[in-house]
Amino acid sequence: MSENFVAPGQQRYLRACMVCSIVMTYARFRDEGCPNCEEFLHLQGSPDQIDSCTSQVFEGLITLADPTRSWVAKWQRLDKYVRGVYATKVSGQLPDDVRTTIEEEYRITYIPRDGSATEAD
Amino acid sequence: MASNAPFQFAGDSESEDDNFNPAPADASDDEQDAQVTQRATGNSDRRASSPAADDDQDDDDEDEERPSNSASKRTRDADDEDDNEGEEDEEEGDAGKTGYDEDEEEEEEDDDDDDVQHRHRRKRRKDHRAAFFDIEAEVEDEDEAEDDEKDGEEIEDFIDNAHPDDIAESGHLDDDRRHRELDRRREIEASMDAEKQAEILRARYGKRAPARGYGEMTVVPKRLLLPSVDDPGIWAVRCKEGKERDVVFSIMRRIEERASSKEPVPITAAFERGGPNSVMKGYIYVEARRQNDIMLALDGVLDVYPRSKMILVELKDMPDLLRVTKTPNLEPGAWVRLKKPAKHAGDLAQVLDVTENGLEARVRFIPRLDYGVRDDSLSALSADGKRKRPGVPGPRPPQRLFSEVEARKRQPRHIQGNPQTNTWTYMGEDFENGFQVKDIKIQQLDVKDVNPTLEEVTKFASGSEDGTENLDLKALAASLKDSNTNVAYVPGDVIEVYEGEQRGVIGKAVNVQGDIVTLRVTEGDLAGQTIEVPNKGLRKRFRDGDHVKVIGGSRFRDEVGMIVKIVDDRVTLLTDQTNTEITVFSKDLREASDIGGQGSLGQYSLLDLVQLDPTTVACIVKVDRESMVVLDQNGDTRQVMPSQIANKLPKRRTAVAADRNGSEIRLDDVVREYGGQQRQGKIIHIHRSFIFLHSNATTENAGVYVTRAGNVNTIAAKGGRATNNPNSGPDLSTMNPALKRNPAQNQTMQPPKTFGRDRALGQTVSIRRGGYKALMGIVKDTTDTHARVELHGKNKVVSIPKADLIFRDKVTGKTIDIYSRGGRGGFGGGGRGGFGSGDRNGGSRTPMGAGAGERTPAWGASKSTARTPAWGRGETSGSRTPAWGDGSRTVNPYDGNRTAYGDGNRTAYGGATSYGGSRTPAWSSSAKTPAHDGFGHGSKTPAYGSGGSDPWGSKTPAYGVSAPTPGASGADNWGYTPGPGGSHAYDAPTPGAGLGAPTPGALNAPTPGAYSAPTPAAISAPTPGAWQGGWGADAAPTPAVGAPTPAASGGYYGAPTPAAYGGAPETPAASGEIRYADDD
Repeated sequence: MSENFVAPGQQRYLRACMVCSIVMTYARFRDEGCPNCEEFLHLQGSPDQIDSCTSQVFEGLITLADPTRSWVAKWQRLDKYVRGVYATKVSGQLPDDVRTTIEEEYRITYIPRDGSATEAD
Repeated sequence: MASNAPFQFAGDSESEDDNFNPAPADASDDEQDAQVTQRATGNSDRRASSPAADDDQDDDDEDEERPSNSASKRTRDADDEDDNEGEEDEEEGDAGKTGYDEDEEEEEEDDDDDDVQHRHRRKRRKDHRAAFFDIEAEVEDEDEAEDDEKDGEEIEDFIDNAHPDDIAESGHLDDDRRHRELDRRREIEASMDAEKQAEILRARYGKRAPARGYGEMTVVPKRLLLPSVDDPGIWAVRCKEGKERDVVFSIMRRIEERASSKEPVPITAAFERGGPNSVMKGYIYVEARRQNDIMLALDGVLDVYPRSKMILVELKDMPDLLRVTKTPNLEPGAWVRLKKPAKHAGDLAQVLDVTENGLEARVRFIPRLDYGVRDDSLSALSADGKRKRPGVPGPRPPQRLFSEVEARKRQPRHIQGNPQTNTWTYMGEDFENGFQVKDIKIQQLDVKDVNPTLEEVTKFASGSEDGTENLDLKALAASLKDSNTNVAYVPGDVIEVYEGEQRGVIGKAVNVQGDIVTLRVTEGDLAGQTIEVPNKGLRKRFRDGDHVKVIGGSRFRDEVGMIVKIVDDRVTLLTDQTNTEITVFSKDLREASDIGGQGSLGQYSLLDLVQLDPTTVACIVKVDRESMVVLDQNGDTRQVMPSQIANKLPKRRTAVAADRNGSEIRLDDVVREYGGQQRQGKIIHIHRSFIFLHSNATTENAGVYVTRAGNVNTIAAKGGRATNNPNSGPDLSTMNPALKRNPAQNQTMQPPKTFGRDRALGQTVSIRRGGYKALMGIVKDTTDTHARVELHGKNKVVSIPKADLIFRDKVTGKTIDIYSRGGRGGFGGGGRGGFGSGDRNGGSRTPMGAGAGERTPAWGASKSTARTPAWGRGETSGSRTPAWGDGSRTVNPYDGNRTAYGDGNRTAYGGATSYGGSRTPAWSSSAKTPAHDGFGHGSKTPAYGSGGSDPWGSKTPAYGVSAPTPGASGADNWGYTPGPGGSHAYDAPTPGAGLGAPTPGALNAPTPGAYSAPTPAAISAPTPGAWQGGWGADAAPTPAVGAPTPAASGGYYGAPTPAAYGGAPETPAASGEIRYADDD
């Protein structure tokens, strides 16, 4: 039922998506892909892609119960995403080629989740 | 305008729906309509005659209306559009007038470009009326023409179709109209309140976002996302520190479990900003509509405490809760500090490489390896019986570059690698060029405020194999830049501006406020002025020769010294304490008025032993201003505050430990490590089995190091205590003349007191036991207890306890007793000039004659005088017995004497009897001989008695007897110095005496009488000789000795003496006779 729950013992395998910042275990990324970004990240079943597009360095966990009504979600630009656990900060950079692909083919402006965007504001 | 009213109905519904139908459609329609109307009707409309004027009017109207009645205009617009649509419907069927239309258009265009716009205003108005005319056909053709470009499929949807067509045809015409419309629309919008506007915007764009995907998110800048009162509130709820993440996941679980239930968890979000260094740890933040919702949501969740006071986060603070700051990117070569592994926490490391995503860095640092030395202690249980937690950093090994050799020593199996490249894998860790190399996640690195000290960095630099320094000071300075803010300037500091406009200015700080330093310029054009500069471009300025103190930021903290070199902001100084050169940054220096190395902090001073915890003691090896560095019993150094020290352990002078050989070692003994580095040092502390040593050979840790007592050999024990190990070093007791002269008094089998040279010296001995048993040798040197014997058999000098020596005759190999009375005589050696060597020789020999040829030479040599007497006696009369030397062990069984000697003195006494028996004559004579007296040496005799205690003892009595007789004179003699004594003796006895004078009496071994030995008293003959010489030599001392002797004798033998006496008296007589005879 509670698919997003991760037992403390498993938390060491957690990774955060560098695009949407959702936090899941490596196994889930591998088995299900990123619930928000699978369209263009193609993480499912691709360990290499998971390694480069998700990060095990993140901080500030957020559990989102109702993304549409939550200000936190809005502020973090998570309001269009699925319910789940997200991170406030995800260190690491998306590989350049992935980033280019996302921005040019999918017309998506990639917002780095590692804090560099905030400083720009 | 009123005319518009009727049309309103027609289009109303549509207009609502399609407010924004493209304007161009209207325009084209209007145009056509207008033309058609005009022509078809031959309209005498008031406008027909003067279209231009009409237009103008229209315009004017509109202009007037616009500000006043924009709303109605808008309505009208809508109507127009509606009309158009209606017309289009009509147009569908009509196709006749196209050509005309076109002409018309051309005309119009020709008319005037300016007019165009006006015209279709007018036309538009017309078309409302035109709607009632049959005008459809005109447009039809146009549409068809344009329709060619259009997709056939869209034809049915005529409304849509119409618009684009018209755009293409008359786009430029309606430009203006569109602008106006836009203007009007804006006005309307402006007049609406913001909320409605937002409503419209949302309606317009909101629904598009999902379709477009994520890109749209960035469109809304953050400032538009700021929280409003409509958003849920955020409360901070206490939770267990370090459990923030777990709590968040627990909440997630609860949310999902109840999501589909009747009562879902009423919160919208929850988050944490924990982390070891976060100020927000210990809280989670919950977003909900009402505080009570949080209670419901968190009730029963582990580690979170909603019942404690919740803090509502203010609206303006909410964004800050989610603020993230970028972790600076790591560049290869940068310096970082390690947070993990715990063993290396705080150590400096250098980044070698960073992974592409910036999440892991390969760093190198100086390993802390013990090469398995502490393995035992790690696996052992701690004092309370619990297993030690592995996470707890115990004492950690010091930083040292990896040593392959050491690694191989203990754990050869765990190491593999390539000596060429100097890369190794040891215990699962990689080492390159002595450094440990490891991939570490960036969250386990401290990348900010690293502040590497020059010393730390230097360690890395000196790592290259060829020893060259590859230290890039520039890189280092760069990494230090951000730490520049830590520099504290104090009023009075002399400061130089090295950056910025004021570069080169030198002055003295007069005030410091925050980052701004106020300088009074002391040099250059600006001298005397006061300027303010930011402290960023400042550095302290010193001159060669300045006396400075290192403050903070450096391992050399608190060192004081004199500046010898300045390069930029690097200053080299020569320290007061150790006279070593150190280089530090000028920011870490300040002028010093004191001299470094106070050496004590409170009650603690350098080299004190202190207790850190119940199981750890340490020796203070460095004292700083507020802390000190201690070397603990495990050999680790650490910095402690005085408050961390449990107490100071007083120096225990009596502490004793056993060294490797079991010898006791005490404070101040000099010992050397066995194995290992073979360090040698003086013991400064003994604690249990640990000893702290101090050596001047090294300055590391102030020359202090620690080792186990069982791991050292004694080199030199303080106070000359004997060490059991013959190889451990020189025997100090033999080097100390004082010791030689004053042999220990407390030995049980004490030989007669000896003075001066040990008689054992030069003796031929054989060894009775031990590894050298049965070997013979010559005594080269002695202490009270030991003799160093040069072996005949091998070229070696060994140290043997004297008790294990058997003294032997050099020639015959017979056992002798060098400490016998005769020996004493030996003292005299050949010294006794009075007697004339010739005499002596002759004398001695003569008697000895056959008896002891060998002895003679000995005599002659006089070297062995000591022995001689013994000899003489031994041979001649078995008098050897008296061989005091051996006391107990005496050579001569006959003699009760010897026995007596032993200490059973009295017993010996009894022996005396025997003695009387066997040897009697000789003895007695000598003992009591008047000769004695005459000689004055007699005086000594008594001494003998006293000193020797035994044989003499026996004799003493004799003496006593003699005393009355010659004894008196003997007494006198005492007073005499040897010389005189000698001479006197000489005289007294007369020539005869001179020779034999004493002799007769002398007989008794010691006495001069012995001298006379030649005389009948052949027996004693040799002896006496010995004596004489001996005395002569030692004339001086003798008296001194003599003095006590009598007393001693009295005390000692007083009692026995008499007994002995009995027999004794006679003897002398006898001897006396003999002597005389001899003389004759």
